[in-house]
Amino acid sequence: MRQSKPFPTQEIGSLPKFGWRTKPFMKIRLDDNDVKSAISWGRRLGVDEKPLNELKGLLSKREGYSNEEKKRIVEFSLLYAIRMQETAGSGISVERGLDLIWSGEQARTEMYQTPVSSIDGFEFIGRVRSFDNKYWRIASIVRPPRFSGNYHMEEFLLSKKHAKRKLKVPVTDAITIMAWSDNSHYVKVWEGRRSSSHGAGLSPSSISFGARRDFVLDLAKVIRRVIRELVVAGAQEIQMDIPAATQYQTVEDSKLVTEAFNETTKGIDAKFSVHSCYPPRYGYGLLFPYILDMKNCIRFSFEYANRDSFNRGVTDDSRPGFQDLKLFREYGFNKELGIGVIHVHTDRLPALAVVRDRVLYAAKVTDISPKNLYVNPDCGLRTRSPEVAYSMLGLVADGAEMARRALK
Amino acid sequence: MLATGCYTWSWNKLTRFLLSLTGCHPRMEETVQATQDWERGRIGAHLLREMFDRDVGQLVKLQKELSFDFLSDGQLTMAWQDIFTPFTSFFKGVKKGPLIRWFNTNTFFYAPVVQSEIVAPGDAVWRSIETSLISDSNPLKVVIPDPLTFAELSEDEYYGSKERLMFAYAGAIREELNHLGKHGVSYVQYSAPSLVARFREGRLSREDFAQVSLAVRESLKKTGLESGYLPFFGDAAPYFPELFEIPVDDVGVDLTETDARKLPKSKKGLIAGVANGRSGYVEPVDVLSRRLREIPSLEKYHRVLITPSCDLRYVPRTVADEKMRRLAETRSVLEEEDGSK
Repeated sequence: MRQSKPFPTQEIGSLPKFGWRTKPFMKIRLDDNDVKSAISWGRRLGVDEKPLNELKGLLSKREGYSNEEKKRIVEFSLLYAIRMQETAGSGISVERGLDLIWSGEQARTEMYQTPVSSIDGFEFIGRVRSFDNKYWRIASIVRPPRFSGNYHMEEFLLSKKHAKRKLKVPVTDAITIMAWSDNSHYVKVWEGRRSSSHGAGLSPSSISFGARRDFVLDLAKVIRRVIRELVVAGAQEIQMDIPAATQYQTVEDSKLVTEAFNETTKGIDAKFSVHSCYPPRYGYGLLFPYILDMKNCIRFSFEYANRDSFNRGVTDDSRPGFQDLKLFREYGFNKELGIGVIHVHTDRLPALAVVRDRVLYAAKVTDISPKNLYVNPDCGLRTRSPEVAYSMLGLVADGAEMARRALK
Repeated sequence: MLATGCYTWSWNKLTRFLLSLTGCHPRMEETVQATQDWERGRIGAHLLREMFDRDVGQLVKLQKELSFDFLSDGQLTMAWQDIFTPFTSFFKGVKKGPLIRWFNTNTFFYAPVVQSEIVAPGDAVWRSIETSLISDSNPLKVVIPDPLTFAELSEDEYYGSKERLMFAYAGAIREELNHLGKHGVSYVQYSAPSLVARFREGRLSREDFAQVSLAVRESLKKTGLESGYLPFFGDAAPYFPELFEIPVDDVGVDLTETDARKLPKSKKGLIAGVANGRSGYVEPVDVLSRRLREIPSLEKYHRVLITPSCDLRYVPRTVADEKMRRLAETRSVLEEEDGSK
């Protein structure tokens, strides 16, 4: 029973895509290095020779891939991501790898574009810069959203086919899709109300909140259907990805995060967890106590290492990034937590002892049993190279094992 | 005399309406692609620089076509990856810290970490702006964070109080502004979201606001620059009327967050943040002009800068440029109604 051990491990977000996965979709010709990389990584990850030969043959074509061939390439990419998670680490543990895994976003463009491309009502309007030279393709909601196909089903079925570990399915939640979209339709509706005689007293903030809430609750219905179908197909755990949980920071908006979660998950018999990251300067305290009203949520997994020091130690001073963890004790939460122990927006790797100390500190300042304290990277690793990402996953696996040993 | 909603409104003749941007502009799609190609090693730094130059050129051309009164380079360079980059790059005592969400947006900044006394080189901002745009005809507008925003979003490991940090930054900024003034820059705008985007704390106390005002005064002392102060992402009404006592030439309001009907009378200039810089919905001219008309005693302001509510970087370039055109059309409509055209 893998999850009964202390400090189980999980992947939390994306994994980088190899050049041989992305180039065929960008109509860029593969080169020798792409093929060599595919083969050497495949061997390193323990992919069997037969499928490896098939991949080699497929990549040797270099360009002009059919849709069917592209699908196979995506499946191989998904297989590699799964094997990366299943084999990460130096082997100091009884078993290498992470305990709770997924497809690492290999079958998605990314966490926003994939759902938005598949839900009726959106139109892409261009790219917006998030930070540095990182952008997202923003879509405008031009009419109420409608379900037009399950955008995660194929990915889930492929993952189930290849995974040897327990699987989860991360699903981008309604708050995040709303927050990363342009809310044209609902803003227009609300502006129209203001123009009418009975809406003249509406304040700018009530217009914008009203537009956000209407959009979110309409989206929740669509996402609920996606999840319900996944659960019918065998998905046992759904991770609701809510990176935008802390974006709108009013009390009403924090309550809306919970309302959206409850609306999305109601009536579905599955295990639900929540991932969020990169809050504003107020930290995760913005969400309390409201998130504790998320009825079906068993686990909260947040990013902490981004704000932490690279020093060893389990004192408050040595772990500045983890102070928000105390909120869970303060509010009496004692179910499950996932703690981000690897900062993902740098190639700098923390020492193994630092990762261990981050885990031990989390155990010290919460009332969570170690077997319910999951260890994970802060967030998705898609901006790192495969080499760095694999090392980071390895640090998660090994750091958790070091913490287990320290408990004994 | 025009009747709009429940308000009766009339213009003083020759109200001065000016057009201006307020900060970071979105990159052209080609520039977006170039930055990604550069990161992946597909193009060199030289080609990337050329693309940014072309991008600035396009923005300047549009501003001139639309008769913008102030010119902006749109911070279209990697020297402004976020609003703090020139300071975390060039100020002694300040380094780049963790990645933090920028207010209630899906954009992020690296928090400045203040590790020792802040020492400005004097040319940190100068090195980060497009100096070729300095001319006698259109003043170049430089946009930097105000002392409060810098102090609140920094991690202070040295000064021990927000107030001390705010004044340290103000002193350092004065060096920078002096340098800009000597080299032909004539206008600085402080971007001040921290004043109003206080989603949980409520407004600053009167005493704290007085300190902010004093820090702004300190930073501008003897620089000879014209100045503006634009709080955005929040409702400025709780600061009325004292917001208009802040020692700058033009005081700004985000009219997508602030009820225009609550603005106080003032003889200062007004930065009217009228077009929603965060929405892809390009407001029609009648919506924009209605927001302006709702301002009581608009004619009393020394001048009115018609601007987006905040930087336009939160929408794609095509949308941003369209919003600029609507601002220009709005001015034309208002001037025609005013009889000043």
